[in-house]
Amino acid sequence: MRAIITIALRELRGMFHSPLAWTLLAVLFAICAYMFNAGVLSYQIQMLEYQTYGMRGGLPLTERTIAPMLGNAAVLLLLLMPLLSMRLIAEEKRQGTWPALACSPLSPMGIVLGKYLGLLLFLAIAIALLAIPPLTLYAFGNPDTGQFLAGLLGLFLTAAAFGAVGLAASSATDNPNVAAVISFGVLLMLWILSWMGNASGGLMDKMLAYFSLLNHYQNFLSGVISSADLIYFLLLSAAGLLFARQRLMAERIQG
Amino acid sequence: MTETMIHLSGVTRLFGGVKALDQINLEVRRGEVMGFLGPNGAGKTTTMRILSGLLAPSEGSVAVAGIDVLDHPVEARARIGFLPENPPIYGEMTVREYLDYLATLRRVPAARLRAAVERAMERCGLTGVQDRLLRNLSKGYRQRAGIAQAIVHGPDVVVLDEPTVGLDPIQIREIRALIRELGGEHSVLLSTHILPEVRMTCQRVAVIHQGRIVADDTLEALENRAQGNSIHFLRWKNPPTPERLEQIPGIFHVTPREDGWLITATPETDPVPELVRLSAASGWDLRELTQAGGSLEEIFLHLTTREERPEEGSEEPSA
Repeated sequence: MRAIITIALRELRGMFHSPLAWTLLAVLFAICAYMFNAGVLSYQIQMLEYQTYGMRGGLPLTERTIAPMLGNAAVLLLLLMPLLSMRLIAEEKRQGTWPALACSPLSPMGIVLGKYLGLLLFLAIAIALLAIPPLTLYAFGNPDTGQFLAGLLGLFLTAAAFGAVGLAASSATDNPNVAAVISFGVLLMLWILSWMGNASGGLMDKMLAYFSLLNHYQNFLSGVISSADLIYFLLLSAAGLLFARQRLMAERIQG
Repeated sequence: MTETMIHLSGVTRLFGGVKALDQINLEVRRGEVMGFLGPNGAGKTTTMRILSGLLAPSEGSVAVAGIDVLDHPVEARARIGFLPENPPIYGEMTVREYLDYLATLRRVPAARLRAAVERAMERCGLTGVQDRLLRNLSKGYRQRAGIAQAIVHGPDVVVLDEPTVGLDPIQIREIRALIRELGGEHSVLLSTHILPEVRMTCQRVAVIHQGRIVADDTLEALENRAQGNSIHFLRWKNPPTPERLEQIPGIFHVTPREDGWLITATPETDPVPELVRLSAASGWDLRELTQAGGSLEEIFLHLTTREERPEEGSEEPSA
């Protein structure tokens, strides 16, 4: 356990030692903040129109501002997470530091968990950052805190699943760029899986719809935390980690 | 103190059907520095990777400090320190951070961490550069940092893969002194193809060639064995072909060197008179003839160029 935390903290520090993590956070934050502002502006205009026609009540604030921003943040992370996760294992192999880790008294799963935990810590920072723009809404309105938090949780779980897939890809090659391409491909495929899920309503379509990341994330964004969605994300993450572990085990045998 | 710390028995390793290692048997006792010699591609690195748990053997068993590497990989790895051919250096860390990190992973208790890191830095001469980034250090210092990470957790077994490659002569001398010092406390397996290094650091030598151990003995025993044969160094102005030389009675092996020929003859026959007579009669123009004796270099050449000779094949380690 101490070793896993040690690896995680080194990983986190390593990310901030490279300009990549900083750039990534800056880009993520800037784009999300812009999107959020755009969302708030369009909400204001719509509210004005609404009131002009004398309609009572209003438009759902969180639904119109925070949810779209978090939805777009997930798409951004779909692009950025492969860049962040690609180096986790592949870079160690390329740099020749892998033996120092692999000769330490750690199981392959210990290494994988340490790396993954490091990535999750980074994600926690990134998502805490993304929570800042929506928080400003509390000064002027009354956002739905439940929905907001569910969205953040959904974003974290989604990005964590991205990371697990990225870690698996990183374990499969010793070229980080290849790892990034693989994980981006897999993630995009998972994201858009439901596109073919509406064709006929048959079993195949239902399966496609179930495996689609987008569908599960959407539930969180609308404020619904269901165990089905939680299990989906946990399973996807676990699958990524187990794949990475298997790769590391097989490597000892295949060489 | 004759406890076996490294024990390889019948280790075979296949890479896609090709035998990189073929029935390797090797033992290193506590406190011993063993030289592991062999030409490039003979299987030194593969053996070391198997020993340190990076690779699994296809057959055979490996034990470190009495712990089976296949049955208890994690425990076995806690007892071993490995310096691969390229030191595993994290460029963005300082020397101290690097050793702290790896010592923690190697289960050095938090209370002893500082002392362990200090000691490793001191032994490897890194104290003065402890706050420098590894990326900015010279090759020699990186190599030392690589050795320091291999010993920081006080392992029973230290495996060093060509630790002096790429260093300048002063650094080489320092590293060799360090390796000699490591024996006694640790058991060291040291791979190299620099023969004087073996003489300076090792008590025992194993020679590997084409994936098989062709000799495993003390340095003196190996040298005595080679002295049984007579070895001469000859230089001609117009050298004959090696085939012609091998036709001379008693000569069974001719090794070309940059500047001349090493000629090995059986102990019973003295090839010198015949060589001199032929040189004069055939106009080869002899310029130099010296007795080479059983230096390590010659032993090495024998073992790795004529491994099929029966007397060498039968001298497998008695285990």
